[in-house]
Amino acid sequence: MNAGQFLTIFISSVFIYNVILSRFLGLCPFMAISKETKPALAMSLAVTFVITASSMITWLIYRFLLLPFGLAYLRTVSFILVIAAFVQFVELVIRKVSPALFRFFGIYLTLITTNCAVLGVAVLNIDMFFADGRAVAGSFYYSIFQGICTGLGFSLAMLLMSGIRERLDLCDVPKTVKEIPLAFIIASIMSLSFLGFNGFKF
Amino acid sequence: MKNKLTVNISPHLHNNESVSKIMWIVGISLIPAGAAGVIIFGLNALTVMILGILSALVTEWLMQLLAKRRITILDGSAFLTGLLLAYNLPPGVPLWLPAAGSFFAIAIGKQVFGGLGQNIFNPALVGRVFLMASWPKYMTTFTKPLNFDAVTSATPLAVLRESGVIENISYLDLFLGRRGGCIGEVCILALVAGALFLFWKGYISWHIPVTYTAVFAAFVYAFGGDGLFRGDWFFHILTGGLILGAFFMATDYVTSPLTRKGQVIFGAGCGILTAVIRLWGGYPEGVSYAILMMNAATPIIDRFTRNRIYGTMIPVNRK
Amino acid sequence: MKKLFREFFKGVIKENPTFVLALGLCPTLAVSTSVVNAVGMGAAATFVLMGSNAMVAMIKNNIPAKIRIPCFIVVIATFVTIVEMVLKAYTPGLNRALGIYVPLIAVNCIVLGRAEAYASKNTLMNSLFDGLGMGAGFTLALTLISSIREYFGSGKIFGYALSHKFEPVSIFGMPSGALLVIGILLILFNRLKGRKS
Repeated sequence: MNAGQFLTIFISSVFIYNVILSRFLGLCPFMAISKETKPALAMSLAVTFVITASSMITWLIYRFLLLPFGLAYLRTVSFILVIAAFVQFVELVIRKVSPALFRFFGIYLTLITTNCAVLGVAVLNIDMFFADGRAVAGSFYYSIFQGICTGLGFSLAMLLMSGIRERLDLCDVPKTVKEIPLAFIIASIMSLSFLGFNGFKF
Repeated sequence: MKNKLTVNISPHLHNNESVSKIMWIVGISLIPAGAAGVIIFGLNALTVMILGILSALVTEWLMQLLAKRRITILDGSAFLTGLLLAYNLPPGVPLWLPAAGSFFAIAIGKQVFGGLGQNIFNPALVGRVFLMASWPKYMTTFTKPLNFDAVTSATPLAVLRESGVIENISYLDLFLGRRGGCIGEVCILALVAGALFLFWKGYISWHIPVTYTAVFAAFVYAFGGDGLFRGDWFFHILTGGLILGAFFMATDYVTSPLTRKGQVIFGAGCGILTAVIRLWGGYPEGVSYAILMMNAATPIIDRFTRNRIYGTMIPVNRK
Repeated sequence: MKKLFREFFKGVIKENPTFVLALGLCPTLAVSTSVVNAVGMGAAATFVLMGSNAMVAMIKNNIPAKIRIPCFIVVIATFVTIVEMVLKAYTPGLNRALGIYVPLIAVNCIVLGRAEAYASKNTLMNSLFDGLGMGAGFTLALTLISSIREYFGSGKIFGYALSHKFEPVSIFGMPSGALLVIGILLILFNRLKGRKS
């Protein structure tokens, strides 16, 4: 485990392999909820939280349940179920504990249950930080950190896009281009500009 | 930009009279740099410029025809985009390259958004990064300065990236533009002259370019050398497209923040991103990427640096 | 029989999952760098769609309404696991190229969408053909997008060079090219739609 590895994970999951702009995970909320900044922020917060927590949970399940019993092939099924259950659980807790918080981002939690970004990161963690059926050194921390950074990448793209779309709302954009097509084009240009971080080395 | 123009967000820029005047004046201020480029790299550079401009104008006309909008190809903005794109190209590129770049710049960078005043990203830079991503081979082959046999040479920044050491080249050579590089970025003297002209005319304010350059220099000075505070910041300012970017592209009215505070944040962001990409990124130069990223952040910056509207109550229950 | 064909063609054109319903765009963008990948992805998704649709149609009367979504998800994920294992065993190259997007079929909105919206209310045969049609529509869209991207990005189709008349535009092979192609296709689609009405 070293600092350089953490930095690499940071740069690659926030910019180079940005979860939305490069891996195309979580496109649906990105397109649907990026019209205004506030909901976009709430959504980003919810996604970051869920991705981080589920990275941790799925890692533990894979390492201590699936691997020892030779059930690695159940990865997809078990991860989906666990993530869905976890999200439901968090939703319940938040609703009970803090209605205000629930109003702020609870509704977005429900939408995340089958968000491909969450499962995507969980699977990616397993692909990247397990070799030959064994966890690499520091794998647990890498996984959690990758979860956080992916969430940050999601939030960054979401925040920028929502700002841009809020501004374009006031503009006279051609009708055939408006909304989703234009959002794709903007995402494309953003993805182009993030290319600047390609080949990052310290 | 003078105070009188920074009132509201950009759509109201449709006042054609003043917009086209600004565009043409900025165009004039770019003439010295272009002339220097032609002197340094030969007539090929002029052809690249002409093709970039022509393609920009034709694309603008076609797109406006297609969208059934008013044809405004003479407002100078497409001209400026084509010219700036050409300034960001190596002088020896195949001649279809500036044409393709300008097409992309105008079509995707500008007209898709509904035309001037509504584009989020600087069109010329969109064109440049498109070319960089699509045909990197041509975009990184530079010709030797003051040598008309089209001998290829690397830019000082590319040399630095490859070998890790700064090429033995004098500051004076860098200042006058006797180095490999893009057409419009090499002659710092001409660029500074143009920028001073714009300052004098009051078309650009110091906030973006000066913050950009200063933050960039400070960052490179701090982290760009063997140890802390040993970086050769002067070399880094004089090479690459920093001056061209900071004074002529980051200052684009449409794609940069409106408030003073926002402009300072914008400039600082550009400076840091440029330095980070130059020092640790895969590309030798990061100006265009840095400016584009900050373009994307401009609406958010504007949102959070909005001037308070006078005469309204401050909400009591603020979080 | 005629009805079954209708179920099939509905998915291909009128309710094309990609262009009309705009569902399941993640894999569409990610694996469309080459036609081979795209067809492989399409086939995998079609298999999952048919399997889960058929299974859901069969068990629809036996699952309580409240927990139907989790049940659907388990059914879908099971079929995805089968696909994963088959790909890993027989086409390791394709499996590597598709990467994490194979397990992600499990959260593809097309699959869950059809299970919930169609298979849970229709007969086995209808659901089977609905799955086949949706899968075909998805594969068709993927093939179209990947042909554009592979041709412009590398001058090839199915890995065979077609022409050397132009310099490949490598942006089309990149993520930003994928977003661009989808954006432009959607604009063209909107223009066509606008002209009709």
